[in-house]
Order: sequence, then structure tokens, then C-alpha cells
Amino acid sequence: MKVMGIIFSNIYDSSLGELTNHRTVASLPFGGRYRQVDFALSNMSNSGIYNIGIITKYNYRSLMDHLGTCSAWDLNRKNEGVVFLPPFAEGNTGAVYKGKLEALYSAVHFINNDAYDYVVICDSTVLCNINFNDVIKHHISAKNDVTIVSSKSKVDKKCPLVLKTNGRGRVTEMKIDVRAEEDSHIGMGMFVISRQLLVDTIRDSYSRGYIHFERDFLQRKFNSGALKLGVYDFEGVVLHNSDVESYYKNSMALLEKDVRDGIFLKDSPIYTKVRDETPTYYKKGSKVSNCIIADGCVMMGTALDSVIFREVVIEQGASVKSCIIMQGAKIEEGAQLECVILDKDVTVTKGASLKGTPKNPVIVKKGEVV
Amino acid sequence: MRFKKKECVAMILAGGQGSRLMVLTESTAKPAVPFGGKYRLIDFPLSNCVNSGIDTVGILTQYQPLQLNEYIGNGSPWGLNSSNGGIHVLSPYSKSASSEWYKGTANAIFQNISFIDRYNPSHVLILSGDHVYKMDYSLMMAEHVKNKADCTIAVLNVSFEEASRFGIMNADENGKIYEFEEKPKVPKSTKASMGVYVFRWEVLREYLISDNEDPSSSNDFGKNIIPKMLGDGHRLFAYEFNGYWKDVGTVDSLWQANMDVLGEEPVLNMRDGTSTIYARNYANPSSYIAPEAEIVNSYVAEGSKVYGKVHNSIISTGCVIEKDAEIYDSFVMPDTTIENHSIIRYSIIGENATVHANARIGDNPQFYDKHKWGITVVGKDKVVEQNKILLPKEVY
Repeated sequence: MKVMGIIFSNIYDSSLGELTNHRTVASLPFGGRYRQVDFALSNMSNSGIYNIGIITKYNYRSLMDHLGTCSAWDLNRKNEGVVFLPPFAEGNTGAVYKGKLEALYSAVHFINNDAYDYVVICDSTVLCNINFNDVIKHHISAKNDVTIVSSKSKVDKKCPLVLKTNGRGRVTEMKIDVRAEEDSHIGMGMFVISRQLLVDTIRDSYSRGYIHFERDFLQRKFNSGALKLGVYDFEGVVLHNSDVESYYKNSMALLEKDVRDGIFLKDSPIYTKVRDETPTYYKKGSKVSNCIIADGCVMMGTALDSVIFREVVIEQGASVKSCIIMQGAKIEEGAQLECVILDKDVTVTKGASLKGTPKNPVIVKKGEVV
Repeated sequence: MRFKKKECVAMILAGGQGSRLMVLTESTAKPAVPFGGKYRLIDFPLSNCVNSGIDTVGILTQYQPLQLNEYIGNGSPWGLNSSNGGIHVLSPYSKSASSEWYKGTANAIFQNISFIDRYNPSHVLILSGDHVYKMDYSLMMAEHVKNKADCTIAVLNVSFEEASRFGIMNADENGKIYEFEEKPKVPKSTKASMGVYVFRWEVLREYLISDNEDPSSSNDFGKNIIPKMLGDGHRLFAYEFNGYWKDVGTVDSLWQANMDVLGEEPVLNMRDGTSTIYARNYANPSSYIAPEAEIVNSYVAEGSKVYGKVHNSIISTGCVIEKDAEIYDSFVMPDTTIENHSIIRYSIIGENATVHANARIGDNPQFYDKHKWGITVVGKDKVVEQNKILLPKEVY
């Protein structure tokens, strides 16, 4: 039994605002040294899924740059590996994809490979550490047509997919874009489907002009009784980075031990691109408390309750509190930041002061000087 | 098989057991010893090669090669996974006529003449796998070519007292060497050999063959090849190197070299951005620094969790420093756990060691007679039990 993977890199770009102006959600930095796609790719690699298509549409330079030859994920393979699937120039999908099903049409040649029995489809906005082998085993033994990976963890906003089951894992009710009620299963944007069914679905949907995987395929077929839909309850830590507020909140959640320990497992590491920085240097007089810090930083000032990416310099007398500071930022003497998201390569000049709130963190765009 | 001709092939001597590093090299070769938080000693010559434009490197190894082999892998961390050249780990092997271990530095190269011949290089660079320094070999190579030298030896100006521990090159004002003295009692100059040599391959090849036929030779570059070439009237030049260089063959020098990367303007600047030292990276999450942590003038690498105090120290990847543990002036190697209320001073803690709670390891020099004090060492994979006291100089 062989399994292939599909990762969507920019289906939800628009919901993350300025953070995805110049990149895909897949290449959005997260957790000090990662990009969101690292989680999906590592989960697949750790589960023995080595033939992976990444469906992308625009803004994918940063993603290609990040992935390189994919050797960091052990995916630079002779016979399998990662394939980029940008839209076909001549295809009917010439405009912006409106949905996953439409996007999948450009990948149909990749998916239509007899060597594989199942496909794992994965978004890059839901972060967790999951073993897909367990999901596939469940999918087979439950005789589902489609298995939706879901969790029962509380999400206090509208969710793309909310499910109710009969208690034996079979879906009895499926809703899209609603608030989750007590005891419902929240879809994690990860699906297992037989390869043949997926290819048939894509072709059929294309001829009918269907666009959305969840709405036009899963829900339509499920409602007509033609699809056996099951859930796989994932019990680990799940982070839904669906908008700026949740991205910020989930970044801060990494400061909690239980969340870190649930995401970064020794036996199934999350891989990422290697950069050759030195370890982080803490100068005399620096004060660092409750922070996640990547390599290559120089800490001279104060950092509290923050997530700090690679090669960040915090100068003497500068202070950051409850911030996300992405790669290459320079925070000059005396600058004060609170609840701020600094995108890559930002310089905060001497004495500058920025303050946001956890609900509305201030975002400073890539490369800006403030 | 034929390869494109190479201007220069580098050969790194990495066979040393490093017995003076004691418990740190019980189960690993000296070049695989950790350094600076995320590096291993071999990263220095390897990265120097890459930064100098050398893309064909042989690593000669015979003692405990497993960890070193695994670390080198296909050479991709250093960008040396190329099909024309690249990195090659060369262990001794059985040949039709004879099979033997590498007897000396020159013998190790002799046994790999056929490897070097495949690339038909003009020059061969001989390096050591256990020196810490950043050097652009291409500058030395340019001098070597300009001088039409048969051999160029990198030298470092050392103090007069230190000079008697080194091989000393006496050279004229043009750098031409007229005399070589191995560990002289009364040195005539202070130009110490760094163990970095460039040879014209044609010439070296000849000398390696005749050296191998000489039963009285100890097959060593410093003892045999260099003096013989000099005696035969070949052109040998000294190339003066002015940067940081340290042979980290002893516990004290390994500790000192690690301390040398600390400070705002360190003697060995790892952060200068001009010459990156590459290393194999493992998938560690970013480090976590707890609210109760206190870190002063120290490096902490990714994958570490710090809950305690760290002063003037290096905490390598994957370490856990528990709450109320204190670490001063020490080098903690990767994947080590220091439990609560343990205090560590002036020590090297080996890879994957565990120091249980409330231990006292090492001490400050000022409380001891000079000859009684030294760096305390906890070996690789060792477990230090609760409340244990290890004195200065003690090796566990």
C-alpha cells in the first residue's frame, strides 16, 4: 500500500493579510525557525510519504527558496520527492483558484499514478505533529470513502469544517464555516482518500464546473448519501493559524510547555531549512525571560514573552514584550515594542515605540524601517 | 574513472585518537569532538576549504570512525556533495600486496596516492582535523604559486616560551625556509608550524614513495618529509598567518578555545559574517529561555532549554539546564542535562551526559595552588549521581 501527499500552499492566503502579501501561507514563518509548510512536510516525511505535490499559484518564490532541494526533510529522492505544481499555463484555471478542487485539476497528472493507492491532502495553516500511518490504517479499517482528520479542541470562531458523528466515527452532519458547538469535531484540513476516487472526483468536478473540495464534493455527495465520510480524532496539540489574531495567539501558545512538548516530539522532529548561524549570544546586561529564540541572534536588551526568529539583534536598552520578531530584525537602542509582529528584515530605529494588543497586534511589513 | 583535473586537493588528517582528551574521545575520534555550541572540530578545516574554493577533500580516519563518518555523511552540510570531487572518507583498507593501518601522517597520504592521482592535482593541501582557526587557504596557495615553491608551510608567530613546543621554521626575509627545528630547546625564531602544508603534488608524491621505502622513517611530515626535502635543496617557504589558531589537543586548550569565542570582541569571532563555519544541523526546535533563567555573556544553541543560571559559558544544542542549576565558565556539549541545584564551574561536560541534582563540579582557580587546579571533565554519556562532588582537574 503506497501513499502520496498533496499540500496546498496558498488557499488561505487572503485571511492572513499583510503577512502573506509577498509569500504563501505555507512559507509564513512560525515558531522561531520554521515556516508553516515544515509541519505538513515533516509529518509526511516522518510517516513515510515521500511523493509529495505542492499546489501553488502565486507568490511562491519564498516557498521555493525555503524548500530548495528538500534535503532538510529527507525528500531529495531519486524516485520520489517533492514536485511543485503551479498552474498549467494553458489550463482552464488560468485565473486565481477559487477553491481546492479547481486547484487539484492542475495536479491531476501528478495524482494519476497507478503506483499509489491513497492520497493524503493537507493544508498548510493547521499545525500539529501527526502520524499519517495511523490515519490511513483507520481509513482502511473504517471503510471510509474519505477520512477527515479532526480534533475536538475548542476553537472560539468560525471553522471551515464542523462535523458531528454517530459515535463510531461516521459523520452524520457536516457544516461549513460555522462556529463549532460543544462536542463537535473540527476539521483540520487534512483528508485521506483513495487515489482513484480523487482522480475520478477531480475529473467529474471539472466537467461540472465545481470549485470547492469541501462544499462541492464532500458536502454535496455526503448530503446525497453517496459518500461514506468518517473522522479520525486527533488528540494531540493542534494550532489553527486561520487569521492574524490566531497566528499571534498560537505563537504565544508556544511559550507554554505543554504546547511545545505536544508539537516538537523527539521521535518525529519538525524539519526546516538549515542556515548556518552561530548559536545565540547573550551579552552581559541582557534580560531574556520566557522566550523562544532561534539561532544567530544577539541579545543585548530585554525580551519578555516573545518568539524571536533567526539573526535578530536586540540592542542595549531596547525591549520587546509579547512580540513576534521575524528573521533579521534589528531593534535599536531604547526602542520599545509590545504586542508587535515584525516581519522579516525590519529595522526599528533608536527610541521608536510601537504598541498593539493581543487581539490587534501591530504588524510591520517586511524590510520596513520604523 | 577519470575526473577533471583539479588545481588543489585537500587531505585532512583525522586519524588521531586524541588520548589527551581522555573521556571525551573514548568512543569518538578527536575531529568529531564538539565545539562552540553546534560545531565539531572537523567543521573548521572543512569550512575553510569550502570558503577557500577547494571542492575536493579527503578525510583520513582510522580511530573510532563511526561517529565521524555519520557526521560527514555525503558532505552536503558543507556543500561538498558534488559528483566531480566532493568529500571522501578514506579509511585504511587491504591491498593486494599489503594491508596496514596508517602508521604516520605521511604514510596515511602515501596509502591514498591513487585517490589523489585520480584528480591529477597540481597541489595538495595537507590539513589537520583538530585545529580551531578560520583561514583562507587560497591566499596561501597564491603565495605558494608565486614563489614557485615545492612546499609552503603556514606558520604562526608564537611567544618565545611557547616556541619550544612547536616545529620552528627559520626563514629568510623572503620567507624561504633554510632550517627546520622540531621542538628546539633554544629557538632561533618564533615561527611555529601550524600543520598546514601545501605541496606540489609531483614532488610530494616522489617523497612519499621514497619515504615509504625507508624502514628507519617514522613516516611523519614534520619529522621526515619536510627535513628531507629541505636537505635536498627544494624550495620551501613559510607563509605567515596572523589570525586565531589553536591546537585543541588537550582538555585545557579545548576549554580555552571555547572561552575564546565569548565576549563582545572575542579573539575567535564566530559571528563576523565573513567566513561561515558550516556544521551538520539536526532538527531541534528553537531554544526556550524560561522566566527564571539568567544568561550572561554566553552562547545558547537551538534545541536547548534554560531554566537556570548560565554565566560565561557555552550551552550546546539539545541541552536542558534545570531550574536553580548554575553554570559558570564552562563548555556544555550537546544533549546534556544538568539537573536542579547542581553547580558547575570551569568544566567541560561531555555529550549526552546527565548531571543529577545538587552535584558540585569543578571550581574557581583562585582557591587552589596553580598546579592543583585544572578543568574538570565529565565524559560522553556519563551519569553523575546526585550530590556528587568533582574537584578541579578531576576526570569522570
